[in-house]
Amino acid sequence: MNAAALPFLALAVAVEPAAPPPARAVAGSIRGRVEILRDLPAPQTRPSVGDLGMPALRDLPNRRRSVVYLEAAPQGAFEEHAGRSVMDQRNETFVPYVLAVTVGTTVDFTNSDRTYHNVFSLSKAKRFDLGRYAKGQSKLVRFDRPGVVRVFCEIHSHMSAFVLVFAHRFFATTDSEGRYRIDNVPPGTYTIVAWNDGEPRESRTVRVAEEGGVVELDFVVR
Amino acid sequence: MKGGALVAVATLASATMAAPAEPPSEPRRFALGLELSAAAGPEDRGFFNYTSYEESTQRLARLSLTAEWRVTERAALLAEVREENLDHPHVYALYARLRPWRERSFDVQAGLVPPVFGAFARRRYGSDNPLIGYPLAYQYLTSLRNDAVPGTAADLIVMRGGGWLVRYPLGWGDPEPAPGLPLVNALSWDAGVQVRLGSGPVEASAAVTQGTLSSPKVRDDNSGKQLSARVAWKPVVGLVVGASGARGEYLTRTAVDSLPDDRRGEFLQQAMGLDVEYSRDRWILRSEAIWSRWQTPMLPQSLGALGLTAEGRCKIMPGLYAAARLDHLGFSRIDGPDGRLSWDAPVWRVEAGVGYMPVRHVLAKLAYQHNWRDGGRVRERALVTAQAVIWF
Repeated sequence: MNAAALPFLALAVAVEPAAPPPARAVAGSIRGRVEILRDLPAPQTRPSVGDLGMPALRDLPNRRRSVVYLEAAPQGAFEEHAGRSVMDQRNETFVPYVLAVTVGTTVDFTNSDRTYHNVFSLSKAKRFDLGRYAKGQSKLVRFDRPGVVRVFCEIHSHMSAFVLVFAHRFFATTDSEGRYRIDNVPPGTYTIVAWNDGEPRESRTVRVAEEGGVVELDFVVR
Repeated sequence: MKGGALVAVATLASATMAAPAEPPSEPRRFALGLELSAAAGPEDRGFFNYTSYEESTQRLARLSLTAEWRVTERAALLAEVREENLDHPHVYALYARLRPWRERSFDVQAGLVPPVFGAFARRRYGSDNPLIGYPLAYQYLTSLRNDAVPGTAADLIVMRGGGWLVRYPLGWGDPEPAPGLPLVNALSWDAGVQVRLGSGPVEASAAVTQGTLSSPKVRDDNSGKQLSARVAWKPVVGLVVGASGARGEYLTRTAVDSLPDDRRGEFLQQAMGLDVEYSRDRWILRSEAIWSRWQTPMLPQSLGALGLTAEGRCKIMPGLYAAARLDHLGFSRIDGPDGRLSWDAPVWRVEAGVGYMPVRHVLAKLAYQHNWRDGGRVRERALVTAQAVIWF
């Protein structure tokens, strides 16, 4: 999902809600695996021609991490939630590289490095600049609009990350093996999307039965 | 549904923090960078911002291509090619970087290397400079040349405030008019070998190069090498204090050979510098002091110059900052036909502006610059300049 897709998410949840489930309906789960087959080269770093020495080797972001979400969620699932999450800056890398949260979540941008960091975003969904702060310090940002927020460090141009802000709670981030699980999904038919490294890569239709249960759905991202 | 949703949201939000797999280390790689900057301003009739007879920082379009090939973890090749105002491209940097011991902060760089002296010249011009102009000490052309020698004090004084096109009618060396020297030339780098040693909060670097601060060279033109060094101390995060020194022969062999026999010798540029940078939250404050002295064959005393710069940048809101720089360049006094006078005209500059970044990698700047000079044909000049910078 790119910046242009930001309004889509908000619009989709507002205009195309699935019908409310019957009272005796049982919520189900959607689970599976996102297999990344596309090439994910290391992110380009601007050459440091003006440096007087070799820059330290830094960690690379885990770009295989994906987010799976329902494009249109059931009505009544759109309330704000004042949750908390953390995005750390460690060895000149944002950890995690992808953070998925609901609207209203406050994210703690901690600094675990010995150097300054300066987190900022110019994304439409959230523009902020936290200024420079040192190791052990942390600054908070509350994400109050749905969309994709691209996060950077002003000092270290190779550092970037994503915060995906959802208007509903039907999403999950893949684990180290690409597995995901979305629970408490009311019965209905949904469009489900696998997002990876800045773009929605594949969307499918999935049906959660009236009696609930677990739906298995795998994605292959090429 | 609502109550359950709240619980689920909390669960899912925390689930997103599951630790990823061990991140891979940075591999061997080839990286390219590109920076395009274009500045548009009125004609600088006082030549306050000229870096040569034809080019001014206020009317400069520059395409810069950088490349780094990390051959191994401990060896890399780096290069930067620039094209300015659609002129011929030139190589700005081309060197090998070696780290002999992986665990030690000791590096060797050889080739067309970044200067160890001072702080400004190692910054990327477009994106790391909050304003459009250069600090005077790194750009302003004095009335001293390295390929021509003033015959008398009067010969030099008559050129006060005219450093963009200098000619000494009574002098030696090249008789054709040509631009003078800045204190430190930030537009080209010197060829040579440098080493850097870091230990905790202290970093020391030293270099042996072909040219001098005023006149960096790829090929030596006088058989004299420059020694330069800098020690930087970082007592706390955000504070850097640096002290630099440099010493090298600046007059070309051709200029020296044109002198009378009894005046030939080695003529040095010696310089010392202090730089401080403090940054915190939305602020960056920087200051540099550069003192330079040039020995001249036909004058009894050396010619001194002192450049003082202080600049600050403050972010006003995401993507928008304001910045200002105060600049002064002063010169030592010599005995001329009309009494004691500074050998070049002192200059003051105030530059203030804003920068706006609508998206990552795009920066638009607007700056107002006012220059004063105690000599020369044009003594005061105000300029309003816009600049766009794009980089990848």
